[in-house]
Amino acid sequence: MTSMAKTLAAALLAAASTITLSATQAAAGGVLRLDEVPVGELDPAKATDYADSMLMFNVYDTLVVAKQGEAGLVPDLAESWSVDGNSYTFKLRSDVKFQSGNPLTADDVVFSLKRMQAVGQGLSYLFTNVKDAVAVDPHTVRFDLKMAYSPFLAALQRLPIVDKKLVMEHLGKGDGDMKDWGQAWLSTHAAGSGAYSVVSHNPQQETVMKKNPGYFIKIPEAAPDEVHLRYGLEAATVRTQIPRGEDDITSQWLPPEVLKSLAKGGAQLLHEPGGGELYIKMNTAKAPLDDVNCRLALASAFDYGTAIKMVAITPTVSQGAPSTGAIPVGMLGALPKDRAFKHDLDAAKSYLAKCKYKPSDFTLKLSWIAEVPLEERFALLMQSNFSEIGIKSEIVKVPWALYTEQVTKVDSTPDVSQVFVNAVTGDPDTLLYGMYHSTKTATWQSSEHLSDPKVDALLEKARTENDPKAREATYVELNKLLVSLAPTIYAYDNQAVFAASNRVKVPALSDSSKEFGLPGMGFTFRLMEMTGN
Amino acid sequence: MIVLIGVSMLIFAIARVIPGDPARIALGPNATAEQVADLREKLHLNAPVVVQYGIFLRDLFHGDLGQSLYTNRAVTTDIAQFLPATLELVFVSGFMMIVLGLPLGVLSARYRGRWIDTAIRLVSLLGVSAPSFVWAVIFMLLFAFYLPIFPIAGQISDTIKLPAVTGFVMIDALIAGNLAAFFDALRHIILPAFSLALAGIGQAARLTRSSMVETYEKPFIEMARSYGFMESRIASHFALRPSLIPSLTVIGLDFAALLANAFLVEQVFAWPGLSRYGVQVILRKDLNAIVGTVLVISAMFLIVNIVVDLLIAFINPRIRLSQRPA
Repeated sequence: MTSMAKTLAAALLAAASTITLSATQAAAGGVLRLDEVPVGELDPAKATDYADSMLMFNVYDTLVVAKQGEAGLVPDLAESWSVDGNSYTFKLRSDVKFQSGNPLTADDVVFSLKRMQAVGQGLSYLFTNVKDAVAVDPHTVRFDLKMAYSPFLAALQRLPIVDKKLVMEHLGKGDGDMKDWGQAWLSTHAAGSGAYSVVSHNPQQETVMKKNPGYFIKIPEAAPDEVHLRYGLEAATVRTQIPRGEDDITSQWLPPEVLKSLAKGGAQLLHEPGGGELYIKMNTAKAPLDDVNCRLALASAFDYGTAIKMVAITPTVSQGAPSTGAIPVGMLGALPKDRAFKHDLDAAKSYLAKCKYKPSDFTLKLSWIAEVPLEERFALLMQSNFSEIGIKSEIVKVPWALYTEQVTKVDSTPDVSQVFVNAVTGDPDTLLYGMYHSTKTATWQSSEHLSDPKVDALLEKARTENDPKAREATYVELNKLLVSLAPTIYAYDNQAVFAASNRVKVPALSDSSKEFGLPGMGFTFRLMEMTGN
Repeated sequence: MIVLIGVSMLIFAIARVIPGDPARIALGPNATAEQVADLREKLHLNAPVVVQYGIFLRDLFHGDLGQSLYTNRAVTTDIAQFLPATLELVFVSGFMMIVLGLPLGVLSARYRGRWIDTAIRLVSLLGVSAPSFVWAVIFMLLFAFYLPIFPIAGQISDTIKLPAVTGFVMIDALIAGNLAAFFDALRHIILPAFSLALAGIGQAARLTRSSMVETYEKPFIEMARSYGFMESRIASHFALRPSLIPSLTVIGLDFAALLANAFLVEQVFAWPGLSRYGVQVILRKDLNAIVGTVLVISAMFLIVNIVVDLLIAFINPRIRLSQRPA
């Protein structure tokens, strides 16, 4: 054998051994691999989207968390709370330590709120009604609100508590005593008390987390030891990785066809219901959709059943469930399931006959967001449905950035646009106030440009009502009013569907009695089980 | 330097023409009007573009490219983290272009009109005509899905922990003396690098072939044959060297272009490089990051072109000697 042939043989042997090595590594137990959107934001004060929420819920803790299997909240870092007018007082657990080893105290809670308000990004708008936070003693904290604001408790699920001492040691460049409030450092490091600590974070590649042995709740053995949350994987890549055991849970953003094909190949389908809807928004401030009868005609002509079939993965699992109104079924104020919307051409024609505009006089602009290809299918469905009652329409593809500018003016807002909206706290206020209150118009969320005094009054009443029963009644009334005004076509209740390998069990995403009513909370890693398959 | 300043002015202006408010996009859909207004003020977006450019230049001379709204980190930190991954991919692709493209061209010319020539020309044509991301998906299907030889995504298996010294994973593996990690990284880079290199390989092979075919017609080759030199010696010593100049020029340009073209391949193989970052920041209208990324890619383009010019001068004595003072 020549030396060249020997070298080649050695190289092949080395390659073969590394292939075997990698195959073994891929099957190693206790490591959970997931994928999500292009970038994960580690700073909890800036967390907004699904990937950020997954990081936040696992690396940080909050005073209260959503109950499993039913609506409502339970204490987490808090032991108990009381409400006195516009003041909320929380008694904190005394056995909680941050991952740094520092004890968690009321000072940390006050600091976390002030930091979030000062940074002014992410979901900080949820706390604009908080006048002050005071550390009454090391384990008691009080929030004083500027006015009655009943969604405050639910909003606290979005106030992650950061380790003040650790952050103060890592202040970056900036003005004033607090400089940058630790923003530079917290974009790559964590200062939480959560069940998982951050090992490394590359916002374009992955965040690696590992179990926090000092967590104040015992983490089951079967929970993943290490988690790799990867960002921005292509659908084709994920499609290949799941059967090879190189990815365990996909994101919800895969096209239905890919989820379907993964399910066909033996992957389990996980789902997280509620929290939002596909809202097909009509510009109520511009002809012809300033006429309620025209809007009701479109809402009746829309084929809800076909829309849901378009996002069905299997006969039993779909990315959509029938909608009954502005509030998704299961949330406070939702209308009962038997009131689901139906495609009704007779009703559509009858409403159209009452509309002051003739269909021959206008052509509707149906927009869809360029970054969400799924919306093009709904635009085509609408075009077909509306043509059945003689309404002409043209489909317009709009990039998100342009859409957010278009909606700032009534004239440039498309006649019909589509947006998926989720309640970030699980409370209907975060869903509806920004969408329909007349002071909040001209944003991507309120492209209906609705201005209705009755709607405003009900939204304000629901915000200040502390009694849960009375609050629910107000939202039901508001919901019915919105259905009759039809500023929006409530296409379907959005359900997040994920494909997963059989190496992992996720009760919070597969068993309705263990579900959380908050998007992203189902990805609480300590509640997952690695099966070792 | 003049070119870079020109590029910075151009990209600074173009980035601001992309539709959408960078502050609104950065803060996400739930941000209030007040939050958006505050961030616009912080980013000097309300100031005239000329003033914004002045602030940019002032910061640039202090080594500060500003904050990225996409990653919420300093743009220089992002570039330092993502550039090595792209450079590693581009270097391996460039290496493949040279070690595969040139010999294939030589073989094709040497066996002109025979089946081997036809096969190489067909492969070259396929390489040139289909974009790299198409090859990326095909290779992924063939060699990672149906025939699981290569990994699908990333730079290295996630169970291997390597200290980041240079940011070049293969070099870091060697520095750490971890051969298993080196081979693992090598396996990860083969498919993306080959997908990216295929067009360049095809182009280099076709150009080398046509140049060599032309050179084979020259009288000095006939003379070499008449002296009784072996065909392999004629090919390597007499025909290849003059034929290399156009091929090297094109490889040089292709090599620089790989930096910008890598984004789709990086996307398909989840390669955490600068090109992928560049696309994401454009989609989010992250002004500082767009300008920073384009400046770095432009600088790399200029450097590669200078290196290629020097290399050609070294290979071709006529160019080298013509530049000497009389």
